[in-house]
Amino acid sequence: MKERLIFGYDPFVLPFLIGMIFIIAYLLVGTVRIILSLNNNEKKQLFRIFIPVNAYKIVKDIILDCLLHVKIFKRNLLLGYMHSSIAFGWFMLIVLGHIEVMLFTPQRNGIFYYPIFFRYFVMETEETLQGAFFFFVMDFFLLIILSGIALAIYKRFRSHRLGMKQTTKLRLGDNIALYSLWLIFPLRLLAESFTADISGGSFITKGINDLFHSFVSNPANTLPVWWAYSCALGLFFFTLPFSRYMHIPTEILLIVLRHVGINATSLRDGYSEAEIYSCSRCGICIDACPMSFEKKDVKFTSVYFIRLLRRREIAEQPADLCLMCNKCVEVCPVGIDSTKLKLICREINNGAISFDYTPVKYNSPLKREKLLYYGGCMTNLTPSISTAISKILDKAEISYVHLDKDQTICCGRPLLLSGNLKGARELINKNREAIISSGCTTLLLSCPICYKMFKEEYDLKGIEVVHHSVYINNLVKSKRIVLKKTTDTCVYHDPCELGRGSGIYEQPRELLSSMMLLKDSPLQNNESICCGGSLGSISMPFAKRKIITGGSLDNLLTNDPDLLVTSCPLCLKTFTPLNSKRTADIAQVVSEQMIN
Amino acid sequence: MTEFGFKLSQSNRIDLDETDNSVFKKVAIIVPDIKLCFNCGSCSASCTSTHFKRVSFRSAILLLNRGHNKEAISMLKSCMLCGKCILVCPRGIDTRNIIINILKAEEEMK
Amino acid sequence: MVSPSENLNLNNMYKNVLVLGGGVAGLQAASSLRDLGYRVTLVEKGEKPGGHLNNWDRLYPGNITSSSVIDGYLSNSQGIRILTNTTIKSALKSDKLLTVITSSSEEITVSAVIITTGFSLFDATIKEEYGYGLYNGVITNADLESLFISGKIHNREKPSRVGFVHCVGSRDDKVCNRHCSKICCMTAVKQACEIKEIWPETEAFCFYMDLRMFGRGYEDLYYEAQNKYGVNFIRGRVSEVGEDENGKLVVKAEDTLTSRPLKISLDMLVLMSGMVKNPDNKALSAIFETSIGEDGFFAQPHPIVNPTGSSSTRIFFAGSATGPKSVAESVNEAKSAALSVHMLLSNE
Repeated sequence: MKERLIFGYDPFVLPFLIGMIFIIAYLLVGTVRIILSLNNNEKKQLFRIFIPVNAYKIVKDIILDCLLHVKIFKRNLLLGYMHSSIAFGWFMLIVLGHIEVMLFTPQRNGIFYYPIFFRYFVMETEETLQGAFFFFVMDFFLLIILSGIALAIYKRFRSHRLGMKQTTKLRLGDNIALYSLWLIFPLRLLAESFTADISGGSFITKGINDLFHSFVSNPANTLPVWWAYSCALGLFFFTLPFSRYMHIPTEILLIVLRHVGINATSLRDGYSEAEIYSCSRCGICIDACPMSFEKKDVKFTSVYFIRLLRRREIAEQPADLCLMCNKCVEVCPVGIDSTKLKLICREINNGAISFDYTPVKYNSPLKREKLLYYGGCMTNLTPSISTAISKILDKAEISYVHLDKDQTICCGRPLLLSGNLKGARELINKNREAIISSGCTTLLLSCPICYKMFKEEYDLKGIEVVHHSVYINNLVKSKRIVLKKTTDTCVYHDPCELGRGSGIYEQPRELLSSMMLLKDSPLQNNESICCGGSLGSISMPFAKRKIITGGSLDNLLTNDPDLLVTSCPLCLKTFTPLNSKRTADIAQVVSEQMIN
Repeated sequence: MTEFGFKLSQSNRIDLDETDNSVFKKVAIIVPDIKLCFNCGSCSASCTSTHFKRVSFRSAILLLNRGHNKEAISMLKSCMLCGKCILVCPRGIDTRNIIINILKAEEEMK
Repeated sequence: MVSPSENLNLNNMYKNVLVLGGGVAGLQAASSLRDLGYRVTLVEKGEKPGGHLNNWDRLYPGNITSSSVIDGYLSNSQGIRILTNTTIKSALKSDKLLTVITSSSEEITVSAVIITTGFSLFDATIKEEYGYGLYNGVITNADLESLFISGKIHNREKPSRVGFVHCVGSRDDKVCNRHCSKICCMTAVKQACEIKEIWPETEAFCFYMDLRMFGRGYEDLYYEAQNKYGVNFIRGRVSEVGEDENGKLVVKAEDTLTSRPLKISLDMLVLMSGMVKNPDNKALSAIFETSIGEDGFFAQPHPIVNPTGSSSTRIFFAGSATGPKSVAESVNEAKSAALSVHMLLSNE
C-alpha cells in the first residue's frame, strides 16, 4: 500500500474539510458555553470526572448508550439494530480509517480528511494479509451501516414494524441532515467501489467494481462520486447544529455531566441545555405518552416539548398539560428527565402565585402510638381503603393513630408539581411538625402521591415511611395476618408514583399472588399507563383524561381478569366508573381474604 | 337606575348593569370549564382547606362572574391544589386549572 | 274495552307482535295490542314480569301500591304469551316479517317489535365516597322500598336522623351519566314522608342540587313534606360520607344557600340511585338495527313528533328504554306504541 498522489490532496476534500472545521469549532464553543454556564459548585463537580469510578462509568455509558444503544435494543431488536448499526458502524469506520493511515501512510497522520478519503489517495502495491484484512473489515462495517440506513428508510414509512406506532415529524433542518446522512454511506460505497481496482477493496466494493467495470473504471466518473461523497459529509456537518443529530456529540457531554452529579435547576443552565440538545427525537416517548391515545395530542409529548425548548419557543402548554407520569423519562434512551424540565417551566409560570396557609394546622393532640396512619386527601374520597386498612390492623392486633381522620393537610405534592415550591414547603412544615410530635416510628400511607412526597421531601429522621401495599405484604410474610386463596383472577395496575415514582413493583404483586392468580397486562411495571387521574397535570380537561383512562383500562383488561387491583386511591377513583369489571384497592382485597 | 343617597355604604345589590366580570371572561377563554358550574357545592364540601378557612371554589367563581373579584380571590388563597374538588365535581370541571389562572390573573393585576 | 272477537280488523288475528321486556311499559303494550286483536308474545329476561315495580312499594301521586298495578296487568293477561327467563339472541329481517330467535332457540316470526327493556338502577358502589356497601347505614332508594315491602323497616332501630341524597349517578359526568333521572326528586321526597310516617320524631334531610318537582301533584307533595312532615331541604350535593367512633354516618356537603360547609351526623342515608341505560341496549340495538344515544338509551329519530318510533319501520319503543320516565309516562307511551304498531300493520 502506498500513496498514489504526491501531495495527498485533492480539491474534492474541501466540502468535508470546511464542514468538519465548522462543526468542531461549533462544538468547542458550545461546550465552553455550557461549562461556563455552570455555577462554581458545579464547575468543581466537573473534576470528579477524574475519579476512576466515575471515569469508568462515563466510558461504559458512552459505549453502551451512544455507540451500542443498548436501551433501545431492550425495547425492540430491529430498532436497536438500526440505531447501533449506524452509530457503531460509523465509529468503527473512523477508527479503522485512522489505523490504516497509521499503518500504511504514517507521514499523513493528523490530516483530518486523510483517513476519511484514504481509498482515494492510496494504491495497492501487493496483496498483503493486513491490507486484505482491513479491506474486509471496512467493507463489513459499511455493509452493517447500509443495512441500518435501509432500516431507517423503511422506518420512515412503516414505523410500526420497528415497534413504533408513531415516529417524530421532522422539520427542514432535520430533513436535510437526515437525507445527507442517508446519502453519505451509499456514496461512500460507490466512491470506494470506483477506486477498488486501484486502492483495493473487499467483497462489496471490489464486487461492485467487477460488476460495473466498464463504467466504474472510467476515470472521468471517479472524481464526481468522491466529490458527492465529500459534499454529503460536509452538508451533514453543516446542518448538524440545526438538526436532531446534535444529539450525537451532546449526549457524551450529558453523560459526563450526569455522572459528576450535576442536575438541572433552570431551563437554560448547562445541564438542561445538554439535555435539550441530547434529544435525538427518536420518538420513543411518543408511543409511551398516554396523551398519544389521541392523535391530535401527540404534539404535546416530550419530544416536541423539548424541541420547543430548543427553539426557545413558548412551552407552557405541554408543560402544564403533562400528567408527570414519568413514563417518557423511563423509556428515554438518552435518559433525559423531561419531567424535571417541565417542572422548571411550571415554576416559572406558577411559582409567583402566593397562597396563604396561616390558619392551616392540626388542632387536636393525638394519642401516642408507634404506628401513625395518614390517609391523605384522596383516601377521604375512598373510604373503602381506610376501612380495609383499619380492619387489617385490627386483625393483626396493631394499635395505631389515624392522623387525618377528621381533617387533613395536603402533603404538598400537588403544589410541588404545579411549580409552587414555596407553598409546598409551608404544608410540608405543618405536616412534618404534627408527625414528629406524634412520636411515631412508622408512618403508614395509603396514597402513593403522599408516599413519594413524605419519602423524598420530608426530612423524617428515624421514622420509617411505608406504603400500605408493602406494609400489608410484610404483615402477611410475618404471619400477623393469614390469607385464603380465591379462584378469582386479577390484574395489577402500577400507580405512577408508586411504580416509576418509588420503584415499588414487586411487593404488591407478591401480596396479590398469595391470594389469587395474577394476570399480566401487555404494559406493566415501569411501562404501566397512567390512569389519567394524575394530579401532575395542571390543565388536562376531563374529556382528555377519560380517553386516557379508557386506553389504560384496555391495556389492563387485555387478559380478561375478574378484578382490577391497584394501590392508589386516585387510580381507584379514576378507574371505577369506567371499568366494566370490579376495581378494588389491594387493601380491600386483603381485608376480604383474611382468615379469622 | 338612580341610586338614592340614603346609605353611607355602597349598595349591597349585585348590579348586572354595572358588573365588570372581565376577569371571569378572561379565565373562561383559557379554561372554558368555568362556565359549567351548576353550584352543587361538592367542591366546597370536600375541600381540604375548608376546615381552616372559608375556601369555596363554587362561591369564588360565582362571585367572579358577578364581578366581585377581591372577595372571590380571598376564597381561593388557602387552596392546597390537592385535587379533591376535581374528583368530586359532577361536571368534570378542571378546578385546579381555574384556580391557578384566577390567582395568576390576580398577580398580574397587582 | 274492545274484546278481541269484536275487533273490526280480523286480519290482525293472524299478525304476531313481539314485546321485549315485561315491565310496566311491556305489560301495557302487550295488553293494548292483544285488545287490538294481535297475537302478542312478551319476552321477559327475569323470573317474572313486573320489572322494577316488583321491588317498589308505593307510587305517587295517589299512594297506590306497585303490586296492585302489576297484579292488574297480570290478572288481565289472558291471550298474551309470556316467556320468562328468556332473552333475544338474534333477528332475521325479511320483507314484512321479522324472525326472532330466543335464548331457548325458539323462532318467533312477528310483524313488529316493541322494545320496552326499560332502565337499570345505577350501581351506587361506583360513587366510592358515599360508602355504599361499606357502611351499614347507607342504603339505596331501592333498598328502602324493599324494606317497606317486606315490612323489615319496622325491625330497624328508630333512626334519629335520616338523610336522602338526590342525584346519585345522575347529572354526574364523572360516572358518564349527564342526564337527570327525572323521578328521584319525587322518590326522595316521597320516601322522606314515608319515613316520617313510620317514625314521626325522626328528622329527615333531603340533599338536593335542584328540586325537579315537575308534574301535577308533585309540588303538592313537596308542600306536604314541608308543611305536614317538616322534612328539611338542604341545597347542596353530598361530597363525602364517613363513619365516626359510634358508627354514626358523618355526611359532608355545602349548604350552598348560606355558602357554608355543612357536617351532619346521621343514622341512615338513602342514596337516590338514578335510572341508567339497560346494559343490554347495545346488543339489542345491534340485533334490531336501531341506534342508541350517547347516554346509552335507545335513540328515536323524531323524539318530539314520534317518540315511540325507531329508525327501523317495524321496531318501536316504549317506556324508559328511551330515557328516564315515570310509571304514568311509560304506560302512556306503551299505549301510543301499540297504536303505532296497529296503524302500520292494519294498512298492510
